[in-house]
Order: sequence, then structure tokens, then C-alpha cells
Amino acid sequence: MISSRLVAVVLLCFACKRGAKEVVVYTSVDQPFSEPVFKEFEKRSGIKVLAVYDTEETKSTGVLNRLIAEAQQPQADVFWSGDPVRPFLLVKRGLVQPYSSPAAASVPAQFKGADGTWTGSAARARILLINKQKVSAAEMPKSVRDLAASRWKGQTALANPLFGTTTMHVAALFGAWGDDKGRAFLDDLKTNQARIASSNGEVKRLVAAGEVAFGLCDTDDAAEALHDGAPVEVVYPDQDGIGTLVMPTAVVLLKGPHSDAGRALADWLASADVDKRMAEVAAHMPLRADIQVPGVRSASSFRSMKVDYARLGDEMERIQPWLRQWVGL
Amino acid sequence: MGRALKRAEEHLALAGAGFVICATALLPLVAVVAGAPLSGFAPLASASPWLLLLRSCALAAAVTACALLLGVPLGMLLGRANIPGKRAALLLHALPAFLPPFLLALGWFYLPHPDALFSSVGAIGVETFAFAPIVTALVALAVQAIDPSMEEAGRLSAPPWKVAVRIVLPVAWPAAALGALLVFALSLSELGVPMFLRIRAYPAAVFSRLGAIDYSPGEAAVLAMPLIAVALALLAVERSIGAGRSFAVLGLRSEERAALNLGRFRWTATVICWAAAVASVLPIAGLARMALRGGFAQIGDWLGAGIGNSVVPAALAATLLTAVGLILGRSMARGRPGSGWFDALAVFAFVTPAAVLGVGIIDVWNRPATHAVYRTVAILVIGFAARYAVIPARAIAVAIAQGSPHLEEAAAVQGAGFFLRLRRIVVPLHGRALLGAWLLAFVFCLRDLETVILFYPPGSAPLTVRILTLEANGAPPVVAALSLVQCGMVAAAIAAGAVALAGARR
Repeated sequence: MISSRLVAVVLLCFACKRGAKEVVVYTSVDQPFSEPVFKEFEKRSGIKVLAVYDTEETKSTGVLNRLIAEAQQPQADVFWSGDPVRPFLLVKRGLVQPYSSPAAASVPAQFKGADGTWTGSAARARILLINKQKVSAAEMPKSVRDLAASRWKGQTALANPLFGTTTMHVAALFGAWGDDKGRAFLDDLKTNQARIASSNGEVKRLVAAGEVAFGLCDTDDAAEALHDGAPVEVVYPDQDGIGTLVMPTAVVLLKGPHSDAGRALADWLASADVDKRMAEVAAHMPLRADIQVPGVRSASSFRSMKVDYARLGDEMERIQPWLRQWVGL
Repeated sequence: MGRALKRAEEHLALAGAGFVICATALLPLVAVVAGAPLSGFAPLASASPWLLLLRSCALAAAVTACALLLGVPLGMLLGRANIPGKRAALLLHALPAFLPPFLLALGWFYLPHPDALFSSVGAIGVETFAFAPIVTALVALAVQAIDPSMEEAGRLSAPPWKVAVRIVLPVAWPAAALGALLVFALSLSELGVPMFLRIRAYPAAVFSRLGAIDYSPGEAAVLAMPLIAVALALLAVERSIGAGRSFAVLGLRSEERAALNLGRFRWTATVICWAAAVASVLPIAGLARMALRGGFAQIGDWLGAGIGNSVVPAALAATLLTAVGLILGRSMARGRPGSGWFDALAVFAFVTPAAVLGVGIIDVWNRPATHAVYRTVAILVIGFAARYAVIPARAIAVAIAQGSPHLEEAAAVQGAGFFLRLRRIVVPLHGRALLGAWLLAFVFCLRDLETVILFYPPGSAPLTVRILTLEANGAPPVVAALSLVQCGMVAAAIAAGAVALAGARR
């Protein structure tokens, strides 16, 4: 009984510890890159950042679903999403506080919501990561369709399309090709014995280790593989077709308990400083034309896929039951 | 009046323990089931989830069979035979059981491995080494509790192997059966290893309703029902096997006795035991190999408050659970009405997929009135209490059941109330068992990942969560170094517990 009282007292102490000068952020931007950005904000503003990070396997949907689960008593002030689509699922549920950050004035209009529901920041693209020891220059794949080419049977990989940016990519392909062609492509992948990895990071590992010839992942995964000295090359797919899918990260102000601190953090995340920093440390593509970082391509340097991010969110929800069947879950 | 109050004390205490279990475990489970849509059984309407369930059951059965093949002989040898360094071998072998299985999968991945690692065979291998120590430890503890006179009588007229087969093995059987059931339940609900090794498994189907884009906790709860039904069936089997039998011991039967002499088989058995122990820690060696590539140099940047965030809630939860376990375990040992129901509820919460429990905890505790709890480390304590109440309660029940109730009865006749008897008789008599139960609960909380990942307070991620969120995109040497810190915490807790238990024995 004494121990129970002791537990209660200690819990109360913890309950009283929280101060007012803090901000809560949920993020699906990779922790190795987002955590230093938050630490810098703490240093500059004196506001403590309490962060919840996503796991790679559930990238973007883990914290997103936590936000939805907590809707009756919102905990988070800011959602820094790894893509611009999932925030729309929060907008639909009335969890977003529209805010047009003055720090994002120089962000091109197509990369922010006119109603202030989201603001784009440093972007990634969906690319093909090629193992140069497995694929000769003459055989270099050029399209995501090559993942299902019989020449590469059992030699390609992509992440589970139920989770992460792969969901968004598949939805974009369904939008561009139509349902029939989209389903046929995924069925072809299965026939072609493409490996379904647990995450984009796992795709990177498989390609870097030479366990597959090439795979579909994000530019930041590719940058890590290159940084580690893996024998890989990056191909921006479908440059002579539908283009490469570009995904800016998205800063979203939520109806959380610390709105002023939330705005301050949203301003920081949407700033040119963070845009540049993410390009330097995470190989993200700066959205602002005046930011140039050696070795990092800008979003305007290749043909990008034309997508309506708001509609893409609906598409993702619509095809989800079919995708679950396809995965076998 | 005073006498009536004293009689009521025991009922009130049991009600208090039951309240903790209901508030932490039952309410969230009810919230999830109540939130299921009316058409919620649709996810189970097609054949595919049932086929997937069969596949997962087959995988769990294979893991269980392998764990028994490894754990029973090892438990008997390390528990009773004259194996040199058997305590060290047992500790080495047991260490992986106290780590999140996905870390072990990661460790195997960092070692030179065949392609088969990413297959059902690989998953069976990883999970076997992760869970077999449960069987080994239960069997080892059970055979140590054998009445020495039985063994001595057998040894007068039979060789050691015959004593082992005819006397030791039958006594170890209920412990092995309990271990098998635990391994089957843990393997059936394991999510991290199948996902990492790209194996389709039923828990992933449940998780896809929580982690994918169309968030649907109600459907997840419906899909979890067959898992829960299987787990309840296992519980029924365990109760029928264990009826009237005593399992592992933490408290009594501590007298020293001569180890069973294996004669000419001693060195062969020693090699087998130590080979198994070394194989068990190979994934940890894999993590160390990766960490040595500069991981420790950067660890300060990424460790954060991970250790404190793990240790503090685990210690608080272990203390709460030991207090609850003392009341509930004693009631179970004495066959008090109602205790079986609370025990069943605790088992139910333990075997329910952690993600389902997590969604329920958010639903129940994320409210304005409980804001101060939800935003703090207190919610981790609640999550741990929900999931792991069964562990200390069962451990303490076993220890108390092996003691005589006569001392307590005599004190009661003299007018001592329930709490006085608890303080003056039960706690001193079973101090070792309580310490052991606290340690078990602490280590289980320390290794937890799947329960708390859905609701850990912002900025207070336990180390296991930090490792998982850094795992895919963090530098592998750093992730491996952090994993070794997790191993070190668990090893330190076990070592400190072993020293404390040895002190309590004296």
C-alpha cells in the first residue's frame, strides 16, 4: 500500500512538471533529420519542443492516425508531414487551424494551400535506386513500369503500398493511368516476384546490398545510400512520360493547446533556413528557386508528375481496400 | 464492528487490485470493442483472413516446437545437471528474451546471413531464439524445485539418464507446457519480426487497420477477435494442464543439493549447453559488430532522455504491479472467489494485440479530465499495468501457493487483520518472490515497444521507441549502439536482481 501511495505521489510530480513554454509536434519526417531542426528551434526560441516521431514502417500514417485517435482532445500543435497529401485527411476531420505563415511567402503557390491549411517545405521525389553492379548502363530502367518487366523478374523491390510514401505513389499512378491499368501494374509486380519490403529504407538496403537490381524509394533514401558509399545510381523515372512524383514536406498548424508556440514552430519549419538545411543534411529538394545546394537537384530541374494533392488524398482512401487485398492483409 | 472491518479488509484489497486491472486493461478493451462498427464483422467474412490466421498459427506452432526442442533439454541440463558455468550459460541464453524481438532480427541481419533469413524459416529461427529462453527458464526452475528425496531414491537404483526421463521430465512437463503456451501466444501476436523479415502474418492485418491510411480501430478490434479466441483457448488448456500442479518457483525450495551427475555425457552436454547460449547472444554480437563502426562516438547525440524515459516508468509500473500482484497472487493461491476472473482479465490483456490495447487507452485516457495523466509518464505506467499485470501476479501466486497457509491462519485466529498479516507474514516470508516478481515486471516494461508506441507522451519516448523510429533512416552503427545500450540496461537489471535475490536467500 505504501508503494502504491509512493507511485501516486511520483506520478503527480511528473504531472506537475510540464511548463507552458513548450510546443508539441508530430512528424513523419525522418527523425535523424527532423530532430536536429527541432533542437535548433529550441536554441533560437527558448521554446521546448516535445516531438513524436513516426516509424519507417508506418511512415506518415502512424502519427497521422494518432492525431485522428486523439481528435477529441488534441495534443499536437503542429504536424510536420513527410508528404503534402496526408494533411488533407486532417483537414477533412476539422483538426487543422488554417495559418498562412509569413515565413513561407517565397514558397511557390503550387506548394502551399491557398486557404492556409498547409505550407510546403523541402521536397523529396520518388526515384528508382539502381545497383550499378547489377545493372549495366545500357540496361538502365527508365520507368516505374520496369519494376514489372520480365527481364528483372525477382530482381526489383518496393515498399509495402499500404504504408508510407508508396501509398501516395500508387494512388498517383492510379490517378494517372486509371484503375484498370493501375491494378494490372500491381498484379504484374506480383507475377514478376517484386519484393515487397517493410519500408523504403529496407528497399535501399536491398539495393545497396545487391539483393535486388533496383527498387523504388525516395530521394532521401538514395542520398543515404550514396553517402554510405553504396554502388548505386539514381534514376528519375518517366521523364519521357508522366513524370516523377514530387512530394514536398508539409507544415500544418493544428488545433492544439499551444497555438502561439505552434505558430512560431510552423514559421521556423516553413522558413528558408529549414528549406536549405534539409537540402544540405537530408538531400531534400529546396522549393525556393534561390536556394542552391551543391549535389542536390531542385524540383524544377526535371519533369514532375502533375498531381492535385487534395484529390490524391481521396484516391488513397478509395483504393485502400483493394490494396489490402493485393497485399494479402 | 472492528472484527467485521478486519474481515472485509481482504475483500477490499482484492477489489482494489481488481480495480487497477479493470481501469487499466478492461476499460480500454471495452472502449475498442464498443467502437466497432455494426457491420464490423465484414473483415472476417472472406476466406483470406482465416487463411492468414492459419498461416500465422502454423508459424507459431513451428516456433513453439523448436522452442520446446531447444528449451526442455537445456532447462533440464542447466537446472539440475553438473554443467560447468551453468548459471552464466542460463543468463546468456535468457538475455534475448528480455529484448524486443525486432532488435534480435536486426542483430541477425547485421551478421553474415543467408537469404533464408528473409523467409518463414528465418522468422522461425529468429523467434525461436527470442522465445525459447522462456521454456528453458521455466523448466530449469521447475526441476530445481523437485523434492530431493524423489531424485535420491531414483539414483540409488537407476543411471542419471533414467532419473532424468522417469523423474525429472514428468515434473518438468507442466512447466514446459506453460512455456509452450506462452511462446505460442507471443509468437502469434508478434508483429515486428514478420514485418522486418517480409513475412505475411495475421497481426499485420490487424495493424494495417491502425497504421494504414484508412484508420479503423473498430475493424482492427474485429480482426483481433480470432487472435483473442485462440489465446483464450490456450488459457483454458493451460488451466487444465496446470490444475493442482505447481510450476516454477521464485521463493521457496532454495536449499542447495548435489547436481545430477551426467557421468561420461557431462562434456558433451556442456558443449551443447554453451553452444546454445552463445548462439542465443549472436544477434547481440551482430549489433556490437555494427556499433563498433563508430556508433558509440555519436551516441550522445541520439540517446536523448531515452534511458530515463525507459527506466522511470518501468520502475513505477513494476512497483504498482508488484503491489497489485501481491494481493491478487495471494488471493489466487488461496483460491479466493473473484481472483480467477481478475487473473483471466489480466491474461486476456496480455495476449490481446498491443496496438488494439493502445487505441483503447487513447480513447479512455485522452480526455480533458485526465489530461494531466495522458500528457505525462503516468500514461506509460497505465499502459504497462494494462499489459503486464499477469506476470507478477502469477509469479507471486506460484510462490505463495507453495507455502503453508497455517501461519496466516494462526495470526488470523489471534485477531490480526489482513493488512497486518500481509505486512508481518506474507511479505517477509515471500520477500525473494516479491523481489523476483518486481524484477520480471520491470524487465518486461523495459523491453516493451508495441504497447506504448501509440501513446507515449510527446518528448518522452522510451529507448525502444527511439531505436525503432531511428532504425530505418538513422546511421546503422548509431542504431546498433543504442540497441546495445538497451541490452546493457536489461543486463544490468538482471544482474542487480540476481545479486539482490542471492542476498535475500542468505
